[in-house]
Amino acid sequence: MLVLGIETSCDETAVGIVEDRFTLQANVIASQVELHAPYGGVVPEVAARAHLDQMLPTVETALAHAGARIGDIDAVAVTSGPGLMGALLVGVSAAKGIALAHDIPLVGVNHLRAHVEASQLEHGELEPPLVALVVSGGHTSIVVMEPDGGFRQLGSTIDDAAGEAFDKIARFIGLDFPGGPEIDRLARGGDPEAYAFPRALMDASYDMSLSGLKTAVIRELRRMEAAGVEPDLADVAASFQEAIVDVQVLKTLRAAADEGLDQVVLAGGVAANSRLRERFTQECDVNGQRLIIPSVPLCTDNGAMVAASGSNLLAAGVTSELCLAADPNLALAG
Amino acid sequence: MLVLGLETSTSRSSVALVDADRVVASASLGIPRRHGEFIAPAIRFCLEQAQIDVERIGGVAVGVGPGLYTGLRVGIATAQTFAAGLHLPVVGLSGLDVLAFQVRSTSRPICAAIDARRGEVFWAFYRSSPGGVQREGELMIGRAEQLAAEIQSYGEDVLVVGDGALTHREVLAETDAILGGTANGWPEAAGLAELALPRFVREETIRPDQLRPIYLRQADARIGWEVRGRLRGGVGAAGADGADGADEASTS
Ligand SMILES: [Zn+2]
Repeated sequence: MLVLGIETSCDETAVGIVEDRFTLQANVIASQVELHAPYGGVVPEVAARAHLDQMLPTVETALAHAGARIGDIDAVAVTSGPGLMGALLVGVSAAKGIALAHDIPLVGVNHLRAHVEASQLEHGELEPPLVALVVSGGHTSIVVMEPDGGFRQLGSTIDDAAGEAFDKIARFIGLDFPGGPEIDRLARGGDPEAYAFPRALMDASYDMSLSGLKTAVIRELRRMEAAGVEPDLADVAASFQEAIVDVQVLKTLRAAADEGLDQVVLAGGVAANSRLRERFTQECDVNGQRLIIPSVPLCTDNGAMVAASGSNLLAAGVTSELCLAADPNLALAG
Repeated sequence: MLVLGLETSTSRSSVALVDADRVVASASLGIPRRHGEFIAPAIRFCLEQAQIDVERIGGVAVGVGPGLYTGLRVGIATAQTFAAGLHLPVVGLSGLDVLAFQVRSTSRPICAAIDARRGEVFWAFYRSSPGGVQREGELMIGRAEQLAAEIQSYGEDVLVVGDGALTHREVLAETDAILGGTANGWPEAAGLAELALPRFVREETIRPDQLRPIYLRQADARIGWEVRGRLRGGVGAAGADGADGADEASTS
């Protein structure tokens, strides 16, 4: 069974093809990073226009990579939310066009859930219950995958997503957009303990706040500038990154402990951060927890994860009607 | 030859199956922001009611604007994958052309006007010609007052049709224009397909991947300089919502 997955929730036009739930046949991404770079963030109308320009060529490239014709596809999966409305609608409409032309099932997929289920393409069937951290430019959420495959959200950022915080600090110190990979690179030559930036760990909740950290970093840089002190940007980047990583690791692993779960999945674009991967690997090792992290191309937004998640829904007998709505605030239900 | 028409460039959404003799089936919805949910089920409804298999469709005609950006993209994205999968030729037409075509029996000059939101209007002028209408000049965007001035300078009593005329009724009433009502308020897929049909016959078609919307505004037009400054300071994926261009992007 060949499932084609379409992802257009933010700034990547992506199409993946998955065979029989676990075998990756194609994973094609048309990135818009360069279009948004001048703005230092994703501009929704720019994103929606670029999605439409790239949609059909990306579908055709994915089919070519899989060595398949559109008529070979058995079902079409698409991200129906959460994400940017205008962007989501391009993918959902394209998916419906395919479903109609070939009279095949359509299945709407939750983007966060797809991030977690992407790991089945490399690590085989997930064996829930498990806890997952989905962390990217758009989301920072801690979720539990239940034994029946359902999802439950434990907590999320109450202000900036982790990737957003990376972008903002990168911008402030003159690095390119997106900021995550730039900070990651710069931080490798820095001392993570050079500056004591705050960790807003707050209470027993699994929610996080990252905007205070961002403000503290900017305040420190301004203070040094006023005092005529040249900051060591590598140290700033390393200390800032360490603070973000600390919050993610601590909250996620506390959630795992509280829920009595010994498997942890890392997903989303920020899961590509080398320090985050390193720290989770160390901590899970110490705690005897199994850590599952997809490779980088399956961490950032992609169509294969949508195809994988859609394949799971189809296997469970779930499909969507042609009136499927795009939902920018789609919740992680059931 | 059977043509599938999709028109979603205004607050209205419509679908039609048209051949040389008649409108075989059509479906139309006047509820704004529902393009994404309506179009695909409406296509299936038309096919099922007319008991027609998709294989019998000979071409896809789609509205390419100018109009509401989100709606436009819904129609074009649907048309592209549908037509590509079935190896069908495509014709893209402006909803303004369709609006004028729908009132082609008038002897007056026609102004088609589509509400562009934010006090602005998309418009173009036409005259009836044998079998259709002839556009005079470019597709325009501007303030309703600017359109009123253009109409007044035309020197003849212009018939103004489209939801641009309905929305800006008061401004346009200051002119000598005759305003069309709700019956001619929106381009319909049936009119679009009828207007496109001769082009399919003459093979004046394009490939699905060649379809491009007509926006008439820059993608970052809505980002004022103040917001641009903030964006430069860094606004991530979730932060730049104010910038979604011409329309009603916040819901479908
Ligand atoms: Zn994502």
